[in-house]
Amino acid sequence: MNDEPTSTPAATPEILRARRWNIVWVVPLVALLLGGWLLYRNFAAQGPVARVRFDTAEEIYAGKTEVRCRSVKVGIVKDVKLADDLKSVLVYLELAPASEGLLRRGTRFWVVKPRLSAAEISGLGTLIQGSYIELDPGPQDAEKWTLFKGRETPPATNRSVPGRRLTLTAEEAGSLSIGAPIYFRGFEVGRIEGRELAENGLKVTYNAFIKENYSHLVTENTRFWNTSGIDISANAEGVKLRTPSFQAMVSGGVSFGVTDGENPGNPATDGMSFTLFRDEDAARHSTFNPTVKFLLLFDQTVRGLTEKAPVEFRGITIGRVAQISFDLVAGADDPRIPVLIELDPSLVRPETAREMTKPDSVFFSEEVSKGLRAALKTGSLLTGALFVDLDYYPDAAPAKLEKAGDFTAFPTTSSGFAQLEAKLSAILDKIQAMPLEQTMADLAAAAAEAKTTIAESRSTLREIEATAAAARKTLEDPEFRELPADLRKSIAALEKSIASVGPDGAVQGDLLRTLDELRASLRSLKSVATTIDEKPNSLLFGRDSSGNPTPKAPRAAR
Amino acid sequence: MNTPYPKAADHGLAACHTCGRVSPVTLGKCPRCGSHLHLRKPASIQNTLALMAAAAALYIPSHMLPIMTVSELGVVTTNTIIGGMMTFWRSGAYPIAIVIFTASILIPMLKIVALSWLCAAATGRVHPSPAALGKVYWFTELLGRWSMVDIFVVGILVSIVQLGNYMTITPGPGALAFAGVVMLTMFAAMSFEPRMLWDRLDELSSAPPSNDSATTPS
Repeated sequence: MNDEPTSTPAATPEILRARRWNIVWVVPLVALLLGGWLLYRNFAAQGPVARVRFDTAEEIYAGKTEVRCRSVKVGIVKDVKLADDLKSVLVYLELAPASEGLLRRGTRFWVVKPRLSAAEISGLGTLIQGSYIELDPGPQDAEKWTLFKGRETPPATNRSVPGRRLTLTAEEAGSLSIGAPIYFRGFEVGRIEGRELAENGLKVTYNAFIKENYSHLVTENTRFWNTSGIDISANAEGVKLRTPSFQAMVSGGVSFGVTDGENPGNPATDGMSFTLFRDEDAARHSTFNPTVKFLLLFDQTVRGLTEKAPVEFRGITIGRVAQISFDLVAGADDPRIPVLIELDPSLVRPETAREMTKPDSVFFSEEVSKGLRAALKTGSLLTGALFVDLDYYPDAAPAKLEKAGDFTAFPTTSSGFAQLEAKLSAILDKIQAMPLEQTMADLAAAAAEAKTTIAESRSTLREIEATAAAARKTLEDPEFRELPADLRKSIAALEKSIASVGPDGAVQGDLLRTLDELRASLRSLKSVATTIDEKPNSLLFGRDSSGNPTPKAPRAAR
Repeated sequence: MNTPYPKAADHGLAACHTCGRVSPVTLGKCPRCGSHLHLRKPASIQNTLALMAAAAALYIPSHMLPIMTVSELGVVTTNTIIGGMMTFWRSGAYPIAIVIFTASILIPMLKIVALSWLCAAATGRVHPSPAALGKVYWFTELLGRWSMVDIFVVGILVSIVQLGNYMTITPGPGALAFAGVVMLTMFAAMSFEPRMLWDRLDELSSAPPSNDSATTPS
């Protein structure tokens, strides 16, 4: 130790140049990679952020409220901000990185919170857990989207549930609410998912959902009608009360079906639009397909005839009134009132719609030549509503289909009150034609005769009067007045004679005596009769001829 | 060589890194414990620089990423170091905020800066006074270990607060990065050879700056 430093004082330590690249540089490289990866994982690989606009942020808390898809957590509410217009809130949702595919155009968001209504009770679990935002992903092929409009009410079904989604259009909403059931033959097959006003408030559009299992039941010619409420109808068969299920009574309901005898057509596709009819009858009556239009020219009042009034053929509705307007016949100086009707020829033609051999125009012109005419008839005497009736009038004046402006004019005949008027006038004419003056003359002669008769009867009366006066004279005669006194006298004499017959009268004493004698003779006659009865031969042989000496007659007489 | 007191290295003597025995460096191995003998730590500047670069690379993510995630009754909050400090500052806990700022933000940064400066001085790029160098070196040695406080806090919280659904604390990726920063700066400080500073000073005082300033004695 001591030698070596002295022998090689400063030269021996070998001084090596540091290698330019040392293994230690791997450390910062690794650190860089690690730091970069951590940063990347935290920021670049962070899930997408969606902005959802809600009316209110009730029950939504930043950093707490979860976003769930079919109850699986896919994200969290990152922030809640008021929108610039202060009329809504913007909720920023941070989704898990793998959930990027859920944010598509058409994805729906709504807040799941406890809901309690007549139709449903849902979201009770959120009473304890706290509410969450449910995400219903949009269609598979839709483009990516990050700004959404949140729903205030949950849709009845998730879009991911397979089934048929249709649009129903109605004139008014009625009592049909979201979540209302859809029935097929009384069997629940779907639900109403949503409703909104459409076409500037003229119509109500419903989103209907039919479950996958039953989606084939909806075809092109299917008709939907409202089955809400209670239907009471009274007719010749009595009173009929129809009620849907309790739920349908409360929240409304929809039924659908194909009219009997109609071809169902092809199965419906998603997004098809159907008309929602007011009730089943309206749906059934809607089957007609007006393809033929005729112009009717009435020379009578059409008061009571409205548009959509029925056109009937012997009671079967085959069309309706489309328009009543003088504009239909342009420029015509015609006081007759033009009424445009539309008909479904398949309802009036005997052939089925598929096998119509002749064109409709030919068919109708033939029928017109057979006497088919249109007439206005009174549908209701109460309301005075009119309808158009087609019927055969064999004795109508011959007519045919004519061209009138843009339309074909169908021959009309007056009917109803108009016919009644005509008949009344005919009666009046007949009355007018009767020989009234002659009759009057006869009547006058008869009256004259009657006058003479009356004069004669008057003279007769006068004679009767004279007779009466004579009678009065006779009555006033004093001899006639003494007649009662005579009569009294006669009665007194009569009384006296009757008194002689009474108990104190001489006649009475004679009578009693005579009666005593008669009784004695009858008694002796009775003994004789007894003797003869007991011993009939005593008549011949006397009373003592019998062996029995006991006298019976004295005992009987006693 | 012209210094008043000769250095051991001038006589080819090296202290063993492991046991401290002074032996002639030509032996190659320490006669007592068998460790390799070097006059100076081999490639110390390079090692220090590399480790510092690594620390600097991790310094940025360590402050951008959440250091821990607290989920309290389903409410999940993530905290970065700066965010936590700001929370304390806003709530009025200024001392705690200052401690966090010093220990977690300032000290690692200062350490990196100071070590870089020392490295620059060791390679002759800057020429500070020996007293300043000494102060700075002491400072880095002194403060290095306190940066680990944050990691300890996170480690303790994570291991203690595991209350199932009620409250759970999990370490975030920032904790990993921050631990890397602290450890790398400590390793960098360890790998630094302070004697290089004084070697440079000796060279400066003995001779004009030579061309082999870039060379590193080993």
